[in-house]
Parts: sequence; structure tokens; C-alpha cells
Amino acid sequence: MTRDWWKHMVLILGAIIVLAPFYMMVSYSFKSPGEIDRGEGGFFGRQEMMVDERCVKLRDPNRDEIAAAAPHFPGKTDNEIRLALLAEAEADCSMRPIVFNYSKAFTEAPLLRYLLNGILVTGSIFLIQVVVALPAAYALAKLKFWGRDTVFALVLFCLLIPVHAIALPLYIMLAKLGLTNTYAALVVPWTISVFGIFLMRQFFMSVPDDLIDAARMDGLGEFAIVWRVMLPTAIPALLAFAIFSIVAHWNDYFWPRIVVTGNRDLFTPPLGLREFKGDGDGSFFGPMMATATVIVTPLIVAFLIAQRRFIEGITLSGMK
Amino acid sequence: MVTLDTSSRPVRRAASPTKRQARTAWGLTAPALTLMLLILLVPVAVAGLLSFTNYSLGNSGFDWVGIQNYERLFTRSTYAKMFIATFTYVVTVVPISVGLGLGAALVVNSMGRIGDIYKTIYFLPVMATLLAMAIAWEFMLHPSIGAVNRTLEMGCGTWLETLPFFAKGCADGFPLWLGDRDYAIWVICFIGIWQGFGFNMVLYLAGLTSVHRELYHAAEMDGAKTGWERFRLVTWPALGPTTVFVVTISCIRAFQVFDTIEAFWPQGGGPNKSAYVMMFAIFEKGIQQNLIGIGSAITMLFLVFVMFLTLIQRWLVERKVHYG
Amino acid sequence: MAQLAINNITKTFGDTSVLKGISLDIQDGEFVSLVGPSGCGKSTLLRIIAGLEEPSGGHIMIAGTDVTSTRASDRNLSMVFQSYALYPHLTVAENIAVPLRMRTMNATQRLPLIGRVMPGASDKAKEIAQAVQHAANVLEIDLLLDRKPGQLSGGQRQRVALGRALVREPAAFLLDEPLSNLDAKLRVQTRSEIAELHRRLNATFIYVTHDQVEAMTMSDRIAVMMGGEILQCAPPEVVYDDPDDIRVAEFIGSPKINILPVERTERDLFLFGQRLPLTAKLDAPALLQIGLRPEALRLTKTAPLMTGQVAHCENLGSEIFAQIALDEHTGRVVIKATPEERHKLSLGAKVGLGFAATDALVFGPKGKRLRDIEATACSVSEVA
Repeated sequence: MTRDWWKHMVLILGAIIVLAPFYMMVSYSFKSPGEIDRGEGGFFGRQEMMVDERCVKLRDPNRDEIAAAAPHFPGKTDNEIRLALLAEAEADCSMRPIVFNYSKAFTEAPLLRYLLNGILVTGSIFLIQVVVALPAAYALAKLKFWGRDTVFALVLFCLLIPVHAIALPLYIMLAKLGLTNTYAALVVPWTISVFGIFLMRQFFMSVPDDLIDAARMDGLGEFAIVWRVMLPTAIPALLAFAIFSIVAHWNDYFWPRIVVTGNRDLFTPPLGLREFKGDGDGSFFGPMMATATVIVTPLIVAFLIAQRRFIEGITLSGMK
Repeated sequence: MVTLDTSSRPVRRAASPTKRQARTAWGLTAPALTLMLLILLVPVAVAGLLSFTNYSLGNSGFDWVGIQNYERLFTRSTYAKMFIATFTYVVTVVPISVGLGLGAALVVNSMGRIGDIYKTIYFLPVMATLLAMAIAWEFMLHPSIGAVNRTLEMGCGTWLETLPFFAKGCADGFPLWLGDRDYAIWVICFIGIWQGFGFNMVLYLAGLTSVHRELYHAAEMDGAKTGWERFRLVTWPALGPTTVFVVTISCIRAFQVFDTIEAFWPQGGGPNKSAYVMMFAIFEKGIQQNLIGIGSAITMLFLVFVMFLTLIQRWLVERKVHYG
Repeated sequence: MAQLAINNITKTFGDTSVLKGISLDIQDGEFVSLVGPSGCGKSTLLRIIAGLEEPSGGHIMIAGTDVTSTRASDRNLSMVFQSYALYPHLTVAENIAVPLRMRTMNATQRLPLIGRVMPGASDKAKEIAQAVQHAANVLEIDLLLDRKPGQLSGGQRQRVALGRALVREPAAFLLDEPLSNLDAKLRVQTRSEIAELHRRLNATFIYVTHDQVEAMTMSDRIAVMMGGEILQCAPPEVVYDDPDDIRVAEFIGSPKINILPVERTERDLFLFGQRLPLTAKLDAPALLQIGLRPEALRLTKTAPLMTGQVAHCENLGSEIFAQIALDEHTGRVVIKATPEERHKLSLGAKVGLGFAATDALVFGPKGKRLRDIEATACSVSEVA
């Protein structure tokens, strides 16, 4: 331990730099605009009651409302009534900064919808990837057929093509098909994971032939073998691939940015956050950081819970 | 009956199983092959073709313009800036993030269980949505209320002011960072390193577990006394395959940098286009300005770079670092 | 070449004590095997001698110098590892050259490319190349010098590992189960080669193995280790014929020695009620154990000491090992018989067994050998 002190010094310094933006993001999501502006309040802020100016402005009473409220304030002038109503509104509109930030995050923009979109898109991408890649990987690993080497060579070649790089022609093709601004546009380019095929093939290569022969002896067809024999044996590799795929697509910003323009109903979480940034003024730092925190949290929490699996999943690509 | 069965079946089987297996195999690979063709290969061809045209979405026709698009790429100053920004980013981020990843892996690996805490922390940026973290960094780097400049200001009035950087910062204000064309690309590089080195560290840690412990003992017996000698004799050669992979994947990721730049400068790619990287150029020219031809030309160039890198990697893996 | 002294070495990992005060003197040029079941601490002891692990207590002396706190690379010892531990990126020649390069060249001379033009580098490189060639000739791997370890068979790798050890002249060679990764046939061949190498080099060898046959066939002395202690250290024939401890007797020898309970009444010993032609001291314990090697037992019809049925028979061609289920006892004994006796050993056949009193090894109830047992003359009657 004593010999390691310098290592700890270096690593702690690194850790501070790594954690700084996370710290700041979470901290700002707790603070009032004033505290953010002045840079005070420590991590949690003072959590003093604050008044939401916009909310008050919206409830500025007009003539009719004052007239309607007049019976409740006997013997008061209109102006006095107005001030009383405003005070009431102010009381209703005041809240703790943390509540303000997070409630704004969910009410200013349909964040919940964005999150659901994110789950829907990432989930369907992963499912289709598995449905497409698993049979192909099985055939490439375990079936002998004319042209197998060519197909595998094609897989190896396609590994060279990052989908992000060919975004432009893909976008043109989708536009020609009239598919931009649809869920399909978000999912389709990712349905084929060459990496998934490659990974699963390598995994299936290590599955003994005897297992498959035994299944054939039991009368299973090739299709049934894929789903009832190979799929269960591939669970560890699939899990790793799931993590790889889900992390990549939950966090992806480039592709959704290209194919979804304007239609808020299709926004994925990163797009939603981007939109927030685009129209927010300075006073919206708090809610914006709250949104960012909400978007980042699911994966971080999942990672902290199942660290080993995540690290395995992410590094899997490096092992083969 | 019995004799008939046994004599006739093998004949039928001998002919059909291989054929049947081939048919099933093609059936199983067909969906993947179709999608591979439509989603990966056709677009490459489309981009290749369109890069020789002046096509725009919405136009009914287009003209062949020869290599005009490529000519522009190599003559216009905008694209010179694009190449400079892209290569500055790649050449900075790749060696530093690989070096830091290796260093962190070696130190963390030597510490046993406590090292796991650092491993977790350094891996967090890999998991986090880069766009969200880019916005967090943007706040950190805000010239007046950002945490970075506030921290730097604390150095004013101390011995740190003897450093030229601090002397200038305390007198005229610290840099604008994202708004300053001298700093912008370096800030982008910094965030790229911040986000990526944990990934490299984890890959190296995985590589280190495969180094045979007895080799270190052998090195010690053979007279390798310093840590450096053991590193040169055992660790570094054993990490060869990992290094090739880490460098390649870092390169490819570095070429694809986009989120941070789009988040900081939705228009134009940074002050004076100092952070106008290729992915952003494709996005701006091809998607936003509907100049499909030039966008496709950049796409093709981009593909060439990435494929070239990957081919080098495969060649290295197969030729030099693979010991079987 | 030097003599080695191990003085009261202890080693504890947390609460478990792996070595409980080991002392052993090894003469210059001697071949000593450390043998014992896995987990007995023999590898730990070797690694402590090598300097790869620190002892919790005790001293190691090499040629009269205390090296306990000297690091491994400064002890001038060579080691052959169980996994061979060859550097996978270096060729065979480079692998063998590593110990010389590390010790005779300085840091700048070892640099890649530039190193070659450093002053004195080329002369040293020549010397090293000669030494490597010589070592390769000795081990007959001179044709493999340009290959990488990945391209070699297990036996070839093993030779390269040996070559790396003997390319310089260390104070002693340490070998950690070097044959355990070879197949049975190669193991027998390499065994004799290592023994020959030892005779030729006349160097000190310390050899760790769990295989008693290796230890028996190669060593000048065998140190049988169990539970972190050396039970006996003696030449192979002594360890076999005259073990100090029942655990040594049981570990050495294949098939295993037969152990049977014996009772003492006055000075006489009784095996299943039969008086044995042995006399003990009056102060010996009442319950004893007797160890009988399979070759000590023989088939007899006249006045057998034990009777039983043949339960299993293994015919090795030159000899036969038969398991006899005893009538008087639940256990079985193994006997060695000649092929001529084959017909007597059909399964289920009733046989009588006898042995010469001098062949019986008597142990106390705790396993210590009792040496003050005398054979009585009456055994003659049984031979007739």
C-alpha cells in the first residue's frame, strides 16, 4: 500500500478529471438558475424555494378573471385583487430547484416519449440483429455448403464498412423510399450486424459438432437446431452482444440526427436533449442537465450493477 | 422388407443430405446476405456513383461531372481545413488515448482489487451518452460561469501566476475554449481522449490477463532486473495483438468523431472551421445543403481511409503479431 | 557450480503454513529431487530457492553466501519452468540468448537496431551466438534455431527451455516439473536425457516432481515432502527399501505398498492371529503396522501367513500384479508374480501368501518406522 501511494495519486487525479463532468451534470440538475450563474451551493445547492417566472407569467390574471374573483375579495380595488391573485400564483409556482429542474425536464419536452422511443428503437434493433445474424452464423460455422467461403469472405469485407460512414447514401435511399421520419428509418440500417454474425460464428465454431449431431438424431430440423439448441448455448455470447448493441444504439446521435428531422414524436433521447439545448435559454441549464442525467442514468446504473458483464460485452470485439 | 429398407435408404441419403444441407444453409444465410447487400454494399456503390454527379435530392435528373467533386476536395481551402482538422484529431487522440489506456491498465493491473474502483470510474465515459457529456463539458468550459475557468481563476495570485499561461489568463481572462479557434480542436481532442481511453484501458486489461505469469518469473531468472526490462521482454510483445486492435479501433472511432462537434457548433464546424471534421462535412454538405455529389465524394474518401486502416491491422495481425 | 544450503525455511500464506522449517544441504554437482503429492510445498520451496518468492523465515546459502535477501536475477540460478515460459515473440536462438544478453550487454547495447552499432556490441553478439550454437548442439535443436516457440512440439519447447537454462553457467539448475506437459513416451526419453545431461555438466540440479518414477530414476538423492516437511532425504534405493515413515513408503513404489495391522503380545508380533517370525522390544506399542512391497509377497501353499481369493489380475507381460481379497481382513493386498505363476492366479482362486521376515517394514501407530524389530530364525521351517 505505502509503495503504491504515487499510483493512487495519479489515478485519483485521473478519476477527478473523468468524473468532473458527471459531477457537474448531476449537481447542476439540482441547482437553481441563480446558483448555477454564481457557481455556489456546493453539490446539492441550497434547495431554497424558487419561483418559476414562466409559470407566474402564464397565470397573470386578465380583466375577466379579476372580475370573477372579485366576490372573494370584498371591498378591494381591481388592482389589489390582481396583486393578490398574482401572489397566489407565485405561491403555487414556487418549488424546490430539484423539483423544478426534473419536472421541467419531463414537461417542457416529451422526455418520457423520447425514452420510450429509445427503448423501442434499441430493442427492435437488437432483436432483428439476432434474428438475422444467428441463423447465418450457424450456417457459416456448422453447415458445409458450396459457396460458404465466399459468403464468409463477404462478411469479412463488410466488417470494413462502418455504417456511419455510408450514412449519406443510406439516407438518400431511405428518402427515395419515403421512409425518412419513420421508426423504420431509425431501425433499418442497423438490422444487419456483420459484427454480430462474425462474433456468433466464432462462438459457434467452439460448439462441439456432437451436440448438433445429437439434435439431428433426435429428429430436429436445421431451423429448430438454430433456435432450440444453438440459441441456448449462445446465451453468454448473446448477452455480451446485447450489451454491445444496446450501448451503441442508445447513445447513437449521428444517425437519428440525419433521418429524423422535426418530427418530435420520433426523437430518441439524444435528439431530445439536443432539441432542449437548441431552444433553451440560459435559465434552462438546470432542466437541461436534469434531462441529460435522466438519459445517461439507465446505462450507467445498469453498468454499475453488472460491471463485469458490461466490460466483457464491450471488450468482446477485442478478444477475437 | 428389412433388406429393402437398408439397401435403398443409403442410396437416397448419399445424394440428398449434402444438397439438402446446402439448401438449408442458403436459406439460413439468405436474410443476412440480402440485408448485407442492400444496407452495406449497395450504398457503397451508390455513393461511388453519386460522387461523380451533381445530384440533389428532389431534382429529377443529374449530370455526370467526372472527377470534379474530388478535384474540389483537394483544391478548396474548406476541405483542406477538413483534412487538417480530421488528421489533427486522429493523430492526437489515437496515440494519447492508447498510451493513457496502456498506462492506466498497467498501473491498475498492478494494484489488485483496489484497482477495480479506478477501472469502473475510467470506464464510465464509455457508457455515457456522448452528446449529453458533450453538453456537460460545454458548461464546464463556459468562459465565464464554467467550472474550468473558475478553477483556473483560483490559481491567480498564487505562484502559478509565474507561468505565462496563468499570467495571461489572470490579466486578460482565460481562454474562451470552444469559441477560440486556437483551442477549439484541442478541446475536441481532449474530450475524445476523455471518452475513449477507458475503453482502451479495459482492452489492455483483458490483454494483460492473457500474459503468462511464469514469463515474468522466467524474465527475472534470465536477469531482467528493472520493470522496464520486463515490460520490454514480456509485457509489450505479449500485448502486440491487443495494441494492433486498440490502435485500429481507436483510429476508426476517431475518424467518426461527430457528436461533440455538432453539439458545440451546429453550424460551420467550429470557429474558423477549425473543427470541421469529415463526418461533420458529410452531414453538412450532403444532408443539410443537399450537395449529394460532394458529400458522396467525402464518403468515398472516408471509406478508403477506414478500409485501409483495417486492412493494415489484419495484415499486421496475420503476419507479425500472431504466434499461434 | 556450487553447493547449496537450505536452512530452516518456513513459509506461511495468511494462516496456512506451507513450509514448516525445511533444512536441506545439497552438495556441489548433486542431483536432488523434491518429490511429493501436489500441495506439499515442493514448488514453493523451489521458488524460494530461486528467489521468486520470499520465505517467512530461514536462510538460503549458495556457495557459502547468504542469498536470502538477494533478488532472483542476482542469484545466478537457472530455472526450467513447468510451462517452459518461452518468450513467444522471440525465435529459439533469441530465447536461448536472453539470459546472456540480459547479463552481459548493457541497456544501450540491447536497444533494437541502434544497439548493434554500440561499442563492443558486435563482439558480445558473436560470443552470445557461439554460446547459443553450443547449447543448441548439446540439445540437438540446432536446426530449430530460427523457429518461434509456437511452431515447436512440446518436446522441442522443453529442450529450448533447457537450452535457455544451460547457455550460461549457473550455480545450480532448478527444474519445476519440466516433464509434466509431455506425453508418456517422450517423458521416459527426456528423463534419461536430463540424467545424462546432469552427468555431463556435473552441475547441481534441484528437480521438483510429483512423479516418484522420475525422482527414482534420475536422482542422487530424493527428498520426499509432505505437508510442508521433508519426511526423508536419501538415495532412491534407501527411500524405497528403508523408508523412515509410512507416508514415504506409501508414496514411493508402484503399485503401492501393502499396509496391514499387526498386534504385539510380549515380544511376539501377530498378523490376523498368526505369529510372525519377528520379535519386537517390550516397550514397542501394542498396535503396529506392517508394510509389505508387492514383490515381498509370494504365493505359497505351506503354512501361509495369509489366505485369500484372487480378485483382479493385471498381466504386464514380464510380470503380473494380482489383487488378493484377504479372508482375514476387509482390504486387498497386491502381489507381484512371475508369468510362470499365471495359472495359479485365475479369478476366484484360493491362494496362500507368505513373506520373508527381513522384507517386512514395521511402522508404529503414528507411521514412524520401528527399526528395532528382529527377524527370528523359525522362518526357515516355512520355506520347506
